[in-house]
Amino acid sequence: MEKVLITGIAGGQGRLLARRLLENYEVCGVDRVPWEGHPRGVTMHEVDLRKRKFEDVIRTELPSAVVHMAFIRHFRADPRTRHDVNVRGTKKLLDHCVHYGVQQLVVMSSGYIYGALAENPFYMDEEHAPEASRSYPEIRDLVEMDALAGAYLWQHPHIRTCLLRPVSTLGYFVHSLVGAYLRQRRIPTVLGFDPMMQFIHEEDVCEAIALALQHNLQGVFNVTGPGEVPIHTAIRETGGRAIPLPEPVLRLLFRRLFAWGMWPFPEGVIDYLKYPVTLSGKRFIEATKFRPLFGLEEIFHSLQR
Amino acid sequence: MARRRSGVTRALADLAGALVPLSVRELEREIADRVKKIPTPLNDYGFDPYGLHPQTALKQMIPSTLLYRWYFRAKTRGIERVPRGRVMLVPNHAGQLPFDGAMLGVAMLLEAEPPRLMRAMGEYWIPRLPFMSVAAARSGALVGTPANCKALLEADECVAVFPEGVRGMNKLWSERYQLQRFGTGFLRLALETRSPIVPVGIVGSEEQQPSLANWERLGRLLGMPAFPVTPTFPWLGPLGLWPLPVRYHIHFGAPLRFEGSPSDEDAVIDEHVGAVRRAIEELLREGLAERQGVFR
Repeated sequence: MEKVLITGIAGGQGRLLARRLLENYEVCGVDRVPWEGHPRGVTMHEVDLRKRKFEDVIRTELPSAVVHMAFIRHFRADPRTRHDVNVRGTKKLLDHCVHYGVQQLVVMSSGYIYGALAENPFYMDEEHAPEASRSYPEIRDLVEMDALAGAYLWQHPHIRTCLLRPVSTLGYFVHSLVGAYLRQRRIPTVLGFDPMMQFIHEEDVCEAIALALQHNLQGVFNVTGPGEVPIHTAIRETGGRAIPLPEPVLRLLFRRLFAWGMWPFPEGVIDYLKYPVTLSGKRFIEATKFRPLFGLEEIFHSLQR
Repeated sequence: MARRRSGVTRALADLAGALVPLSVRELEREIADRVKKIPTPLNDYGFDPYGLHPQTALKQMIPSTLLYRWYFRAKTRGIERVPRGRVMLVPNHAGQLPFDGAMLGVAMLLEAEPPRLMRAMGEYWIPRLPFMSVAAARSGALVGTPANCKALLEADECVAVFPEGVRGMNKLWSERYQLQRFGTGFLRLALETRSPIVPVGIVGSEEQQPSLANWERLGRLLGMPAFPVTPTFPWLGPLGLWPLPVRYHIHFGAPLRFEGSPSDEDAVIDEHVGAVRRAIEELLREGLAERQGVFR
């Protein structure tokens, strides 16, 4: 049986993926925090990606495939730690993969990196430039990470590197920024704007990763779910109440409250509430015959508040 | 999950509904019947992939239709020339506010057989405007990026492009019925998707709001693409842009089909663009010669 190493295994998506892969793979994982009560088949290592001990894990486990999802996507952490984990951690991991003969690598980037710009076309494909840093500098580390992993595609073509960029992921277990936003009771939105937003269920993201491993995919792929609705419809369907505020007021609130640590979303998020960032998942569907199992209604209902 | 409404709001809504004149309610029914005939792929929430929401579009069509029938008293000619399937409508563009685009959309819905839902390719600044952005999306308009236009044509939609863009919309009174410089992107897209181009001459819109000057710099300061100065704007505030009750004559030309590579050099493409331009100019000339007066 092939051995898969999952980084960030103790996160919601990591746990789900570990369970999903157990049938067909030998699964081991690393995370900075423990996973209490992890399944018996999973070997768990509590290490930091940036530490020397992590190299020991790879050296002894010698996985044939690695799924990298150890990122800090929230903004509660110190920006420097965020950058360290997301960029340096990835760089370390990629180097180890080359050194210890990993054959396949799946990196979980995200659809946000394209950025929310007014002039965005609908259904951007993988060739579209990642422009998030223009209006959302807080996530430039994730854009840099994406570029870093993308460069391995040509630098080390013998490793099958697959860069997945899923749309907004929702579900019971996963901790996503959009999930945190939609879980609030009263949700501030931008008055006079209602962009289309795509969603995918956490289980379908697992399925997509499993398919990427199974097909030995190489390349960059957007992963899309069952469809898209305007953001106000999503808020209504998940049981929240939208509070539309004029943009200047909203900007001031976001800026101040975020600076004082009373609000988890930086100002850059506002553009995602104004302009659509919609991806075309055609390439991934053609390569893997992927079809999402969960519909929009189920996705909205899976959001626990 | 339906939105819960309090008794008071429901009562108010009912009252408002009762106060709407019968003719408007009839109009609403008529529009709804036409919209129903248009096959649009919608999801469970009633939206198409680009944010079009026929139920909202219907409500927005009512004021446009009132304008079309009783304010601009629009007359169309040659609408049967618009072929089925993918097609690109290319009209002239004028009038400070895009009423010409809205009227063309109404014509395609009410006069064309079978009715078509026109997808307007909008200016890049429309998505930046609060409310306008939502209204445009719900009625099927999109930002006019090449990718969007191509996707719609490949889905066999009826797309309206305004190659004059802001240059046309904010032209001066002295430049009325003179086509401004055309972009070439639309023609490359038509070649790439093998779409017929239907030239459209709209007579009337060019006189609806005579512009005497364009204070572009001030406009830029205010974040607008132009700042027209008309007899009524900015003196009467935003209301000063309300159009005069000119009569609209919308003339459709014969479809033009071009052959060639979309990546030909500008000189080749310019020739095709010139053909479209000349066709629109001809339609405008005819329309102007035939009409009795600006308001008649």
